[in-house]
Amino acid sequence: MTIEKYQQEAKGYTMTTVMAEAARCLLCHDAPCSAACPAHTDPAKFIRSVRFRNFKGAAETIRENNALGSICARVCPTEKYCELACTRTEIDCPINIGGIQRFVTDFEQNANMDILKKGPANGLNVAIIGSGPAGLQAAATLLTLGYGVDIYEKNEKAGGYLTYGIPEYRLPSDIVDVEIQRISNLGANITYNVTVGQDITMAALKADHDAVIIAAGASVAKTLPLFADNPYVQSAVDFLAEVKSNPAGVDLPTNVLVIGGGDVAMDVDTTLKLLDVKNVTDVVYEEFAEFKASDKELAGTQKQGVTIVDGYVPTAVNGNTVTFKHRQLNSELTIEADKIILAVGQQADVTNLGIELENNELTHGGFHTADPKVFVTGDLAQGDKTVVVAVQKGKQTAEEIHRVLGGQN
Amino acid sequence: MIKKDLSIDFMGVHFENPFCLSSSPVGNCYEMCAKAYDEGWGGVVFKTIGPADFEIDEVSPRFDELTKEDTPFVGFKNMEQIAEHPLEENLADLRRLKDAYPNKVLIASIMGTNEQTWEELAGMVEAAGADMIEMNLSCPQMTSHAMGSDVGTNPELCKKYCEAVKRGSKLPMMAKMTPNITDMVIPAKACMAGGADGIAAINTVKSIANVDLDRKIGLPIINGKSSISGFSGKAVKPLALRFIQQMRDAEGLENLPISGIGGIETWEDAAEFILLGSSTLQVTTAIMQYGYRIIEDLTNGLMHYMAEQGVEHLSELVGLANKNMIPAEKLDRDYKVLPYIDWDKCIGCGRCLISCFDGAHQAITWDEATRRPTVDPDRCVGCHLCKLVCPVDAISAGEVVMKAGRVGTAASKQI
Ligand SMILES: Cc1cc2nc3c(=O)[nH]c(=O)nc-3n(C[C@H](O)[C@H](O)[C@H](O)COP(=O)(O)OP(=O)(O)OC[C@H]3O[C@@H](n4cnc5c(N)ncnc54)[C@H](O)[C@@H]3O)c2cc1C
Ligand SMILES: Cc1cc2nc3c(=O)[nH]c(=O)nc-3n(C[C@H](O)[C@H](O)[C@H](O)COP(=O)(O)O)c2cc1C
Ligand code: SF4
Ligand code: SF4
Ligand code: SF4
Repeated sequence: MTIEKYQQEAKGYTMTTVMAEAARCLLCHDAPCSAACPAHTDPAKFIRSVRFRNFKGAAETIRENNALGSICARVCPTEKYCELACTRTEIDCPINIGGIQRFVTDFEQNANMDILKKGPANGLNVAIIGSGPAGLQAAATLLTLGYGVDIYEKNEKAGGYLTYGIPEYRLPSDIVDVEIQRISNLGANITYNVTVGQDITMAALKADHDAVIIAAGASVAKTLPLFADNPYVQSAVDFLAEVKSNPAGVDLPTNVLVIGGGDVAMDVDTTLKLLDVKNVTDVVYEEFAEFKASDKELAGTQKQGVTIVDGYVPTAVNGNTVTFKHRQLNSELTIEADKIILAVGQQADVTNLGIELENNELTHGGFHTADPKVFVTGDLAQGDKTVVVAVQKGKQTAEEIHRVLGGQN
Repeated sequence: MIKKDLSIDFMGVHFENPFCLSSSPVGNCYEMCAKAYDEGWGGVVFKTIGPADFEIDEVSPRFDELTKEDTPFVGFKNMEQIAEHPLEENLADLRRLKDAYPNKVLIASIMGTNEQTWEELAGMVEAAGADMIEMNLSCPQMTSHAMGSDVGTNPELCKKYCEAVKRGSKLPMMAKMTPNITDMVIPAKACMAGGADGIAAINTVKSIANVDLDRKIGLPIINGKSSISGFSGKAVKPLALRFIQQMRDAEGLENLPISGIGGIETWEDAAEFILLGSSTLQVTTAIMQYGYRIIEDLTNGLMHYMAEQGVEHLSELVGLANKNMIPAEKLDRDYKVLPYIDWDKCIGCGRCLISCFDGAHQAITWDEATRRPTVDPDRCVGCHLCKLVCPVDAISAGEVVMKAGRVGTAASKQI
């Protein structure tokens, strides 16, 4: 097994090729791309800066609007947001906004730019539970507004699914580490290996802070009852976390069965292939026409040579042998594998955090809870479950707290 | 594939096609010129040959480029002088070229330092077999002020040196003009009075293309310093065309034989030079960037243009546009042409709106819901800036409107 392919990110633009792409941009008057970015990263503005060779200004636009700009550049489903709205599509194909954003944020890092500045201290403190993208962005916004920020993270590293989920070839760990470092340099005080509700109580956090944000995400794998206590089974997010933390340390067999058809399943499939697993078979509940994974991810997975079987549900499990039935047809399928990975979704664990969820999110819109001091953000709040929307919600939650607390003691 | 006769006679010499290497590194030695002939160039102006005792000592690096977005070579700056090779070697190369390619046109570019060396060089290149002489009166970066564009801006010297060359050789001769002057007609007339048979225009434009912002030195940097030097390529085409028109427009120069030079890359550029009065054409920068092979599209494209125009001989096209350039005060100012915006072609980028407001006459309004522009015919002055900025050609010339109180009809205007 070699890990180079897994660790290899796709090539980015060069100075010349990024200028070519920026020159394709029509520099629209009303820039629908900017209107379509959930985090208001303002692509029309930073692309125009690139066009006029003001790379530092471009970096400022991205960073001031989006504290995770170099991460979003890599993982945003742009085809659902900015690029979906791009006017250039009416001529040929949309501007590669993610690619330009990646070039600019790489430039920012190479130029050692330090754009976000801590605001003058206002004497107020906010506790944030969870250091995923929502918690990190909320922290960045609060720090620039002058708040003190304490982040509590149950894992040994910060980043949530940025660190423990999205595979290395799409999002290199060093990129994530730099982004987190920026926020901790701004003054975020991060405590690791602490599960709020278990190692420290909500009451204690509330007593020490003027507000508490729950940004705990959907950090636990869902499973299927058929697979309970099966030693061959691992959840997708546990598998991805294990590989991302120590790719050289995982030992993989030649024959792996994956169950699930979302983007997470596609990440598992592709990761297995990049790690040289010979036979990867993914059996999916949905048929291709109703697939949940994005076309981009599905195409990438298929290119790797994964066998994808659509329309089947598991009906019986016997150790490492799983029997599936087709949902419409009278057809059965039995697969024996050395390892089974379940990618059937993630769920929230908010034990002892004092909030009620339904389908892993708040039952109402917005970020408030019954407790005026407690706010909820990220995947736990209503709305898309993506990094850029987590950034948007984190920013909005911070602004809401600022509105409520008035920024003064 | 289309076949058309591209041949043309220029100053008494027959060219199989009008395309020549202009005097520069692209025609520096036998092997280069032979390759260019083999690939289809009709003529070569060999790299300028100077007197034996004038030592050429070049700098390194010696080029710079002007870019725009990702487009390289919008313009090209060079710091080269004349041929680096020894005189004897250059003359030997001319001899070999004429022997090997008797039917191709070989033009020797020369540059003397005084009447005597101009005369001697002319004799030497004739003896070596050149078909024609080009006098380089125009290199803007010579280390001697008795040479190059300092001479080309001085009409007395131009005339005197032309006379010297004519004493030294019987060959047809053209004088190559510098654009670093307000009125090219003056040196051109001086050269014709001195015996020149035609004019080559233009040489490079004195320039600084870029400055290194950290080191605060122009580019290229030579041991911490730089120099003003010649600019060429696409960016200089408009200047070259203007000088050529002005010469052909001058009294007594109406039929001036011209070899057109400056930013020629495509057959369309070439056709423009021909329509403004050039009989032959010379190219350097485009060859430096793309190689001699551009000749294929220059010749083929020009043939298709001739076919479209129903023309059998290239000479029929020479100068056809000269009479259509008139002084600004004689232009018809009685009407305006409103832009017509095709909403089916429009993709709603709003660039016309921005440019009309910020750079024209605030005549466009914008429908936010449909993302479509509308022109207010009263405010619009018909400048057509909007048409130029539209990325999808959705804007074209529309209704012709007479200005209030003017005589004549809109229908009679040739817009
Ligand atoms: C494999 C995978 C790939 C993905 N790929 C993409 C992608 O390409 N593009 C995209 O936009 N989105 C992607 N997503 C979705 C995206 O990662 C999430 O929407 C996003 O991470 C949600 O952010 P969050 O901050 O709300 O939560 P999370 O990222 O889940 O972070 C929550 C954090 O809270 C911590 N935590 C939880 N409970 C406690 C507690 N009680 N005490 C202390 N800490 C706690 C967790 O350890 C974690 O660090 C992907 C998700 C997965 C799983
Ligand atoms: C590197 C370089 C060297 C040149 N050397 C000469 C020269 O020796 N003699 C000359 O008459 N013109 C010289 N020129 C000018 C060219 O012949 C030509 O007039 C000018 O470059 C404009 O044409 P273009 O735009 O096709 O390059 C040189 C140009 C370049 C770029
Ligand atoms: S919508 Fe597309 S073309 Fe218009 S400004 Fe945005 S990126 Fe450029
Ligand atoms: S022609 Fe000029 S004034 Fe009229 S709409 Fe276009 S830009 Fe505006
Ligand atoms: S510039 Fe062209 S495409 Fe853009 S809004 Fe105007 S007419 Fe439409």
